This record gives sequence, C-alpha cells and structure tokens, in this order.
Amino acid sequence: MRTARPIIRVPPLDTPFSLQCLLNHEIQRWIPRYCSHGDLKLDRGMIVQKRRRRDAKQRKDKKSSGLALKTADEEQQEEEISQSMAAPDLLDPKSATHNTKPRLSFSSKPIVYNSGDDCDTITTVMKWKTVVAIFLLVVLYLIIGATVFKALEQPQESTQKYLIVQEKINFLSRHACVNVSELEDLVKQVVLAIRAGVNPSGHPSNESSMWDLSSSFFFAGTVITTIGFGNVSPHTKGGRIFCIIYALLGIPLFGFLLAGVGDQLGTIFGKGIAKVEKMFVKWNVSQTKIRVTSTVLFILFGCLLFVALPALIFQHIEGWSALESIYFVVITLTTIGFGDFVAGGSEIEYLDYYKPIVWFWILVGLAYFAAVLSMIGDWLRVISKKTKEEVGEFRAHAAEWTANVSAEFKETRRRLSVEIYDKFQRAAYIKRKLSSELGQNPGQDMMPCKRTLSVNFTDELEKEGLPTLTKNGSLYLNGLTPDFPDRGEISIIEHLK
Amino acid sequence: MSTAFRSCFVLSGFILAYFTYLLLGALVFSAIERPVEETLKSNLDSLKAEFLNLSCINATALEAFLEKVLKANKYGVSVLENGTLHTNWDLASSLFFANTMVTTVGYGHTTPLSDGGKAFSIVYALIGVPFTMLVLTACVQRLMHPLTYGPISMCQRRAGLQPRAASVVHFIVLLVLVVLFFFVVPALVFSTIEETWSFLDSFYFCFISLCTIGLGDFVPAEKPGQRLRALYKISVMVYLFVGLMVMFLVLRTFHKLADVHGWTAFFQLPSYEEEHEDKEPIVEREPDDESPEAEKASIKPQNPSSQVSYNSINR
Repeated sequence: MRTARPIIRVPPLDTPFSLQCLLNHEIQRWIPRYCSHGDLKLDRGMIVQKRRRRDAKQRKDKKSSGLALKTADEEQQEEEISQSMAAPDLLDPKSATHNTKPRLSFSSKPIVYNSGDDCDTITTVMKWKTVVAIFLLVVLYLIIGATVFKALEQPQESTQKYLIVQEKINFLSRHACVNVSELEDLVKQVVLAIRAGVNPSGHPSNESSMWDLSSSFFFAGTVITTIGFGNVSPHTKGGRIFCIIYALLGIPLFGFLLAGVGDQLGTIFGKGIAKVEKMFVKWNVSQTKIRVTSTVLFILFGCLLFVALPALIFQHIEGWSALESIYFVVITLTTIGFGDFVAGGSEIEYLDYYKPIVWFWILVGLAYFAAVLSMIGDWLRVISKKTKEEVGEFRAHAAEWTANVSAEFKETRRRLSVEIYDKFQRAAYIKRKLSSELGQNPGQDMMPCKRTLSVNFTDELEKEGLPTLTKNGSLYLNGLTPDFPDRGEISIIEHLK
Repeated sequence: MSTAFRSCFVLSGFILAYFTYLLLGALVFSAIERPVEETLKSNLDSLKAEFLNLSCINATALEAFLEKVLKANKYGVSVLENGTLHTNWDLASSLFFANTMVTTVGYGHTTPLSDGGKAFSIVYALIGVPFTMLVLTACVQRLMHPLTYGPISMCQRRAGLQPRAASVVHFIVLLVLVVLFFFVVPALVFSTIEETWSFLDSFYFCFISLCTIGLGDFVPAEKPGQRLRALYKISVMVYLFVGLMVMFLVLRTFHKLADVHGWTAFFQLPSYEEEHEDKEPIVEREPDDESPEAEKASIKPQNPSSQVSYNSINR
C-alpha cells in the first residue's frame, strides 16, 4: 500500500462552505463522498485515524490548520452530519463512527493519490462517466452534422446526376455511330484516369506530369502533415509500401517541427502582446479584460495573416470564389484535406516559387491553427469543468441538505429512544415498587412488549410525573407504521439493551 | 542563453532534416510513379484516338463531353450505367463524411458541393476538430491507466525490471498488438469484403486512414451495389474512431517512454505531463494565484509546444 500525501491546499476564507469542508484536513471523511479517487480502503483507515486524532486534539489544533474559525454550532453540526452520513443504521442511537459509504462524488478529479495502478474501480467508474457523456455528445454532434449535410447536399447531387445523364443521352443521340458500350468503356477509362490524377481532357501532348519533382515534393508534404489531399496518390505497389514507411517516419518528424515552429511563433507573438499589455496596464484596465483582448487580438491578427491574406491570393491566382478560398484554407489548415480544391493543382501556369510559398504557408498556418484549435479545446474543457463544478456544487448542496435533514432525524430519534428508555426504566421501577408494596405478584409479565408506550414528539411527557402508558397510534420511527408496532417496540427494546 | 541557442540550433537542425526528408521522398515518389502515369496517359490517348477514328464525332465534341464527365466526377457522380444507384448523401454516408471531417482524415471522395455546404463545413470543422481531439485525449488519458501505467508497474513489480526496460518492453508489446489488431486484421477483413482490394491495398488504406492522412484513393463501401452499405459504413466509422484513439495511446506511450529515457530533456521537447489533471485540487489556489495561471493559459495558445503532435491537444 502506498503512502500517499494528499495534495490539499488551504482554501481562502471566502470559498463556499462545502468546498471548504472538502479541503479541511480534519474532515477528510468528506473526501470519499465528494471526490473520486483511489484507494478507499486507505481512506477508511485514515478516516478512523483522523477521527481519533481529532478527538484527542483540542480545538486549537483545528484553528491552527489555517481554516476559518468555526463556531461551536458548526462543529457540532459537522459532527452530527458526519455521524449521520455513516452507514444508514437509522435506529442506532449510538451511531458510531462507522465507515462512511461514498454516496456522491464529484465526477473526476482525484485530489490525492498517485495511485495510478492502484486505481480503484470507483475512480474509473466515475471518470468514465464523464468520458461517456462527452462521447455521447460527440456522437450527437456527428448526427447533427450528418443531417445538415444531407439536407444541403443531396439536392445538388441529384441535379448533377440529372445533368450528366441528360448529357450522355444527348451525346448518344447526336452522334449516332457511337454505341453505348463503347461510350461506357471510354468513360470508365476516363474515370480511372481521373482517379489516377491524369486529366484526360485537354491536349494529348500535355507535358506537365503530376509526378515531377515539385509535385512529388508537394505530395510528400501532404503525406507528412497528414493533410492528404488525394488529388495525386501512389498507384504502384512499391509506391504504396514506400508511402507507408515514409509516413511512419515523417509524421513524428513533422510533429517535432511543428512544435518548434509553434514555439517560435508563440514567443514572437508573446513579445508583441506583452508590449500591448504593458500599455493596457498603464491605462489601469482589469486583468481579465487584458487577457480577453490579447486573445481576441491573437485570433484577429492570425486570421488576417494566415487565413484572409492567403484566401485573397488564392482567389486571385487560382480563380476560386471567396468562399471556396476560405473553405480551402480552413480544410487544409485543419489537416482534413479533402482535395477538391488544391492550390497548385489546376492546369494553370504557376510561377516558379508559388508552390514552395504555399508549402511554407501551410507549415506556419498549421502551427497557428494548432494554437487556435487548442485554445478552442481549452475553452471547451473549461466549460465542461465549470459545468462539472456547478453540477458538483449542486450535488454537494443537495447532499448537505439531506445530511442535515437526516442528522436532525437521527438526533430526534436518539433523543426519543433515550426518553423511551428512561420512561421504561421509571415505569419498571415504579412497577417494582408497587409490586413490592402490594406483595409479590407472580406471573406478572414484565415483558415490555406487552406494555404500551406512548410516544410524543413533544416534551410533554417530561412534565408529567408518571408516564401515560397508553399507546397512541402514531408511532413513527424511521418510517415504521402503526401497522407494525410490535416490531418497532421490540427493536427499540433491543437497542436499549 | 545557452539553452536558447541550443533550442534554436535544435530547431534549425529539425528544419534541415525535414527538408532533406521531403526532398528524398519527392525523388523516390517521382521515380516510382512517373512511369506508371506515363503508361496510363498513353493508354488513354490511344483510346481516345481509337474512339475518334471509329465514330463520327469530332474532337471538340468529345472534349466537351469529357469536361462534363470530369465535372460530374468531381461531384462524386458517376456517369457509368450502374453507378447511379446509390447516393452519396444518405444519412449513413453523411455521417461517414462528418466523421472523416471531424477526425481530420478527409478522404475527399465526397465533398460538399453547394455553397451552403461549404460554409457549414468551415464552421463545423472549426468546432468539431478540437472537440474530437478533446474527446480522444480524454479517452486516452483514462485508457492510459489500465493499458500503460498498470502493465508497466506490473512489469516492475513482478519481473523486477527497471522502469526504462519495463517501458521499452511494454511499448514493443503494445506496438505489436496494435499492428496486429488494428492493421492486419482489419486489412484482412477489408480485402475480403472489397473485391478489388488486395491485402496490400487494404493495409495501405488502414494505415493512411489511421494516420488521418486520408488520401481518398481507397474508400470502403463505395462499390455500387454494396450490400448493407449503411451498416458497413458505420462499422468503418467506429473502426476509424477506435483506431485513432489507439494511435493516440501509442503516441502517448511513446512520449512517456521518451520521458523516461530522458530524450525529451535532451531534445528540449515539451515534456510529457504525467496526469497533471488528476492531481488538480477541486479548488484552485487563492485568487491572486489564478491570474498568472490564467495568463499562462492565455499565452499558452501561442505555445502549442505543450503538444508535440498537432493532433494531441493535451491541456
């Protein structure tokens, strides 16, 4: 068993009470309830130890642990709450410091133990819940996307289909000497050629190849960056095998490069932002505003440099529309890389340095997009954490409320059972006295269960000298109905023993 | 200052190595593929010539026709007789498309045609890609415990190996298992289901998809007349997702390995943060501590060095 050092930090005085409880060294028994983490067995031992230690210590120690000073009432309440949160043996007036069963947890973060491989099932169960929830969310997102795409695209596709079929029919009717099978053959070949990246239309003496050095360079780049346009792809066996090996080595290599470039980009931008922030600080703007403005600036500036400007250039050189250019930029820089639009992939006469510049832009733009996407990921994470916290707080409050209520209940029951016991004792004593005075009356059954007890929730009985030994019908102890009074009485008596 | 110089030096070394690597790849690809392309071209030319000779059409009409065919093919619409049976945008295919988009594989066999589709893709990708990465990273983090930390410490305890040796052994075993179950077995399955794919083609497809390159020359479930197409597509989707998760896991294990062996320190790479999240307390420190942390978080976007691979958004 590992010795674990809890990484617990002292909370400031203004955090809500429930969280404060959580971090209290003295009330570590809350931890199994509110946090999910490793070894519960370890916890129980620690809990008992802590309790003993606490009982032995004085209140001064509690104060010195750095918490807010609690009043006696609060501590008493905590005591009761803790006792009530013990195993739900609700008829036990001497509710001992039993093991606490975790009833609730915050989802996720274990506070304490480095129990990587000692991970209890409880930890994994709790954490998996969050993951499953997020996973379901992703599936939902996908389904939404699918329906929207279907709605947007299917009509277009049908139109295209119709058009091309019409075209085919027209062609066949205009040129009667061509029969269908010949046309089919030609078209099949054409389609294969297109898939191979060969453009069948245009002049047959087309000199440019898709596999000259610069295009192969570009292709290698798309493989390594995992963009993978696909407008050219290897068709030979050797090419494919080589592609696999090439990617295996190249992708991590590119990953390192990207990390380095991102670093440099970050430092350059960070210096600029630092200057801007200094300016803002002079103007006494609040910290959050500075942060927000710096993020916004980062996004805007990066967008301008890596998205808008290249989009304009592509629009001009490639002849795409504005939307298509932006679409190409986004699809490339997120490494999705459909390949329907490829810079440098059309039959235009490009300048010599066009493709290398495009490649360089891809490299830097990828770093920028990695930063943006990780920022979005951070936001999503923060949102999910905040929701988790809120949900956790809500649960904590609900737990507190339940704990308070059941503590109240328990207290009342305890008092009640003590009262009943007292009254029974008094009654027995009186009976003994009476019987001794009236002479021994053998056969008188002293079985208490034949007696009737009256229970009142008020303090009326205490004022009376003699208990009224009549049973009133409503003996509600822990949900016992008057239908089963005997059981209740017997169990009370058992506990009183 | 020496560390700054060193990191610059290392970075330029990487860039240089990267360029040479690209050049090398270009040369090899060119050498291998160009002859094949030439043959294909000449075949097509001769076919066209034959066609023109046989019939009464002139070259321009044929060219016009071919342009239309090209355009239709770009839209994923095949003009062949039996190619018009299935649509590319029914629900299962759209789901498949959304999935390839969001995992950044991006085959490109179907692409959004309408302007609305393109605009929607932009927004969808910008949100969906980090979302997916988040999910995958979260899953992988949880999976690391039973699949990496557990076996490694078990190795250490039972076999008494050093941490370094244990991590190496574990990594090799993991690699072998992954290759077997996520490459070889699916490749066999694909080569049986898809009639035109050989085993090498299927293996190539699995590799290209799981590395999210997604060239798109092989896409499953595209054969016309495929039975149970929707089910097939969805199972391929599941395979891609799980496979991607496993690749992330392998990458993380490799990071840990590098960390244990001190390679990250040597190369000044971002070090592998070991379950930093799991040790986070529920309440952060005092408010004045939050601001430098949050500032770091805001500057962090400019330092994607916290992730080595672009695909893994850790924090």
